[in-house]
Amino acid sequence: MNKAPAASKIRTPLLIAMAVFLVIVMPVLNVAGVIEDFTLNVWGKYLCYAIMAVSIDLLWGYTGLLCLGQALFFTLGGYMMGMHLMLMIGKLGSYNSDLPDFLVFLGHTKLPAIWQPFYSFPFAMLMVFLVPGILALIFGFLAFRSRIKGVYFSILTQALTYAAALLFFRNELLMGGNNGFTDFRTLLGANLREAPTQRILYIVSAILLVAVVAGCKWLTSTRFGLIQRAIRDSENRVLFSGYATANFKLFIFVLCAMIAAAAGALYVPQVGIINPGEMTTERSLEAVVWVALGGRGTLVGPVLGAVSVNALKSWATRAYPDMWLLILGGSFVLVVMFMPKGIIGIPAQVRALIAKMKNRGANSRQPVTTKQDAEVTEP
Amino acid sequence: MSCGSLIRKVLMVAGIGAFVFASQKAAAQEETVRSKIAAAIVMPDEEGRIAVVLDLKKNPSPEIVGWLDKWKEGLIFMYEAEDGSIVPVLMGDKIEGTRKIAIRKLSDDAPVVDGTGNQVGVTKFELDLADTSSSLRKAMREVSDLAALADPDVEKRIKAIENSSVGQRQDKLPGLLELQKIETNSKANKALEQAIAIINLRSDDKAKRLAAAEFLGNRGSLPAFDLLKTIALESKKSGDKEMEKAALLAVSRIEMHISRINAAGTLFRGVSSGSVLLVVAIGLAITFGLMGIINMAHGEFIAVGAYTTYVVQNVFASGLRLSPFGQSFEIPGLGLTGTGMSLYFVVALPLSFLVAALVGLLLERSVIQFLYRRPLESLLATWGVSLVMQQLFRLTFGPNNVQVSSPLWLSGNWTVNDVVFGWNRLFVIGFALLIIVATWLVLNKTSLGLLIRSVMQNRNMAACMGVRTERVNMLTFSFGCGLAGLAGAFLSQISNVGPSLGQNYIVDAFMTVVVGGVGNILGTVISALGIGMADQSLQQYLGNPVIGKILVLFGIILFLQWRPQGLFVTRSRSLD
Amino acid sequence: MKKKPFLLAAEGINKSFDGFKAINDLNFYLTEGELRTVIGPNGAGKTTFLDIITGRTRPDSGNLEWDTDHDLLKLNEYEIYRMGIGRKFQTPTVFSDHTVIENLLLSMAGPRSIWHSLFGRVTAAQKERLAEILETIKLNTQAYRKAGELAHGQKQWLEIGMLLAQEARLLLVDEPAAGMTDEETYRTGELLLSLAGKHTIMVIEHDMEFVRQISQGRTVTVLHQGHVLAEGPVEKVQSDERVIEVYLGRKSKAA
Repeated sequence: MNKAPAASKIRTPLLIAMAVFLVIVMPVLNVAGVIEDFTLNVWGKYLCYAIMAVSIDLLWGYTGLLCLGQALFFTLGGYMMGMHLMLMIGKLGSYNSDLPDFLVFLGHTKLPAIWQPFYSFPFAMLMVFLVPGILALIFGFLAFRSRIKGVYFSILTQALTYAAALLFFRNELLMGGNNGFTDFRTLLGANLREAPTQRILYIVSAILLVAVVAGCKWLTSTRFGLIQRAIRDSENRVLFSGYATANFKLFIFVLCAMIAAAAGALYVPQVGIINPGEMTTERSLEAVVWVALGGRGTLVGPVLGAVSVNALKSWATRAYPDMWLLILGGSFVLVVMFMPKGIIGIPAQVRALIAKMKNRGANSRQPVTTKQDAEVTEP
Repeated sequence: MSCGSLIRKVLMVAGIGAFVFASQKAAAQEETVRSKIAAAIVMPDEEGRIAVVLDLKKNPSPEIVGWLDKWKEGLIFMYEAEDGSIVPVLMGDKIEGTRKIAIRKLSDDAPVVDGTGNQVGVTKFELDLADTSSSLRKAMREVSDLAALADPDVEKRIKAIENSSVGQRQDKLPGLLELQKIETNSKANKALEQAIAIINLRSDDKAKRLAAAEFLGNRGSLPAFDLLKTIALESKKSGDKEMEKAALLAVSRIEMHISRINAAGTLFRGVSSGSVLLVVAIGLAITFGLMGIINMAHGEFIAVGAYTTYVVQNVFASGLRLSPFGQSFEIPGLGLTGTGMSLYFVVALPLSFLVAALVGLLLERSVIQFLYRRPLESLLATWGVSLVMQQLFRLTFGPNNVQVSSPLWLSGNWTVNDVVFGWNRLFVIGFALLIIVATWLVLNKTSLGLLIRSVMQNRNMAACMGVRTERVNMLTFSFGCGLAGLAGAFLSQISNVGPSLGQNYIVDAFMTVVVGGVGNILGTVISALGIGMADQSLQQYLGNPVIGKILVLFGIILFLQWRPQGLFVTRSRSLD
Repeated sequence: MKKKPFLLAAEGINKSFDGFKAINDLNFYLTEGELRTVIGPNGAGKTTFLDIITGRTRPDSGNLEWDTDHDLLKLNEYEIYRMGIGRKFQTPTVFSDHTVIENLLLSMAGPRSIWHSLFGRVTAAQKERLAEILETIKLNTQAYRKAGELAHGQKQWLEIGMLLAQEARLLLVDEPAAGMTDEETYRTGELLLSLAGKHTIMVIEHDMEFVRQISQGRTVTVLHQGHVLAEGPVEKVQSDERVIEVYLGRKSKAA
């Protein structure tokens, strides 16, 4: 009875294949020496991006909320992890102080109170979820209560991200200013600069990604998933079906903020740095590109998009550094205009094109999307 | 001092100094400032010198200041003439063929010659300096101050008047009172009144002190602020209740004046930064507000305008070498200077509008026209466009900021009642006014405006009436982009021009339009001014621009709780 | 059990948009089980009145009581819906990307919490009810088609089916016959009549043929300029001179 349309659903065998490949095959190949440590590390980064992309898709593709603040939640998660990692450096920093270097540099002699509890790894993990979660809760509550939606929601999340980035660039926040956190040493006693540690981090990222995709697969198959997509297509009608849409949106918004934050927390120890440059709207929009390119409203799409765009980026920024932004921007424009369903949608588009060729003239023009129409024609 | 000077002292005292001077065949004419100072220098003793210097007060001419300064700075030397008399001299040019320096008499600028009529040359350290003592310097300062009061330049005179009250010395009073009788400039008179009152604060006459405090309080005199506070404290100690009360009253009045100045300054800065927002947002108010197109590349259109200005400036000057995609080519320059050069901005303005409008037209035809009624998609596509444009700027003009020189007149200011109005800010406000009026005229007085309004209000109806909505869309979008270009030309005058110029303004621009109420130009104007004002007030209050900005952004988010549709709700059927 | 005279009582309702009085001192009463038809020329305030009942628009003044002890004006859209007031919009408003059965499932009476949406199961009774509704609205063969692919008339029925799934006490039906073929219109009328008694129904309609079909001596309310102009059986209303003047006189087709 609770069947979601097949198009927006990832099939279980595919999910299992993906899990086996990412969680088992890749690390085994790495141990066997087929895949270099560096490559695995880069893939770990891609997978974190993919997790963030799934969270964007859950909001945008499934609920119709284009959030330009996912990079903010991602970065906040990263900062929470980063605080723990900074304290784990201990006396190994350049000032040989218990305090993180930047605090010594700013003239602090005592660890500020908010930093104190971050010595505890469980506390830091809790904060990874709580801080972005609470921010999303407050912002979402205000935004959804006053029925801000569509582009207004996007613009406001953009402003939120912008404001937060301005804040994190300040030294007064005691978050390292524009240099952020870097030079991490250990995590749970393991040396972050050694390949086995990085391999484990990769595996954890892969597991998290598979878990998030599986979780979303389940979520979108429940009645909640139905309501989510109904909100996307015609929020007013959902409201007139007795659902407090604001609460549903708030729930998914906070959930997605936490998913992105978890990805950010895993990203930081693998990349070794976190700074406010990651927090900008451009980063959010870039992640939106991955989703759009891969295919929104599907669960494989964002993963595919995140990995492929970032792989392309790694290659292009080295091979054609001047051209990369032209390629990214240009391909994005083309995808939005001609491939509304992304890479995932290409087979369907080709099929439709062939069908159209066959009975040419029978129905001459088919609008690309009709989603907006339902909303607008409502009385 | 030599014996010669002793004789002269006697002569002076005997009142025949004039004869001596005359006999020196230098200044048979009337006494000049120079000759008087020269006379002072050769006076044999301290008191005499002081007396002669103070005597200059009788006829304070601004020239005095310079000569006294020379004396003080040790640029006047003592030359012992063949007849044994001492002549104050100035060092002149080198004498050809010798290592000696010619000297000129201080009194009349005549070259010093020896008995045979040959020019006298000296070596550098041969002559003594005309010395000064501290009491003499004090007298000199007194005379200088007074002389400065006679300066024909009003600004300098006012400066001197203000200086004369420093230290609140009663002996400065007569000079000021004299000046007050003849001063005609109203600004200078105001300064005089203030200076006199400030000095009177230390008057022996209590009535005068009270009156001065009251006057300064009413005037809101800034320089008297700390003095009055001191007086209030002193009076409290000495138990002079009446004086304490008067001083405190005056202090509180001045405080009020200061807060009024600050308020006026904040208001002015608020209006000007609101004007920047307005100029930046007005194009967006058209593309987003009227058409529902979320143009994330709006900032890049601003940059197009700024770069156009940059190119025009260089064409007016010595030309420009660009090397996009490794292809180097050169734009020749007109090599203009002076007035011709300073006119470049007049040419750059319409050009930046046209270039940006043209690029906008291209974008509308190639991308935007397929995305009407799909606002989220238009947001994404235009963001892609903005990436491409930024990179094109980088490739063409380099990744760093380029230099756009702004005219000198933008750096002056204008002070009214202690409030400083910077020319650059006035320019900003004037420009915003101009753009608003122009936009209003286009929308309300041209046939294009009529078409735009009809299409925006009811697309289908307009189409039924035979309006070619597609063309109107195209022109409207292009008009909005042109306005962004104008904003760019404008920003090039007050901030840096670089590839990411637009990125700095895009969030602010969107906020302005959203707060104003989408689709409402008047709303945009009011919201721009409001946000600018809030921004400046918070900056003034918190003393931290970034925290202020963050608070404004959160304020906007909260504001939208109260009015989700912005300040002005426009019933538009194009956006849900 | 206490006697409930009115299911819905609207008193002294006023609403103006930019100076235009859409609803002007409107008084309107509906008893439980009634099938009421509301007619009126364009701009009479019919849809605005529905907007006010369903919380889409707030009136400037007036009272709106539900079941004698609930003030509808204090509730928002989904709370009003949960009171048992369902609305079918003028243009069919269904979730076009969802299947027919999903549309019905979303409207199904029951808890509306996030928790329930995640972990709630569809009970056997609900499944039975779904099948029943599909039968009623004659869409049992289309259950797994996307609602967006349905014909116009079928969408209208689906929307009525959604009201049934909701088990609404009051069905507000806005121009159900608009855009339908005569055949579809007639079947829609039959459908509404079969529901009368079980539900309280308020139908807004233009098509007088349809009004005659469903009113069958029941009360018809004529709205004009946001005010009740006349009330009574359709024959009486049609012969009322004021009604002829403002309504029939202007819209001769409606006669």
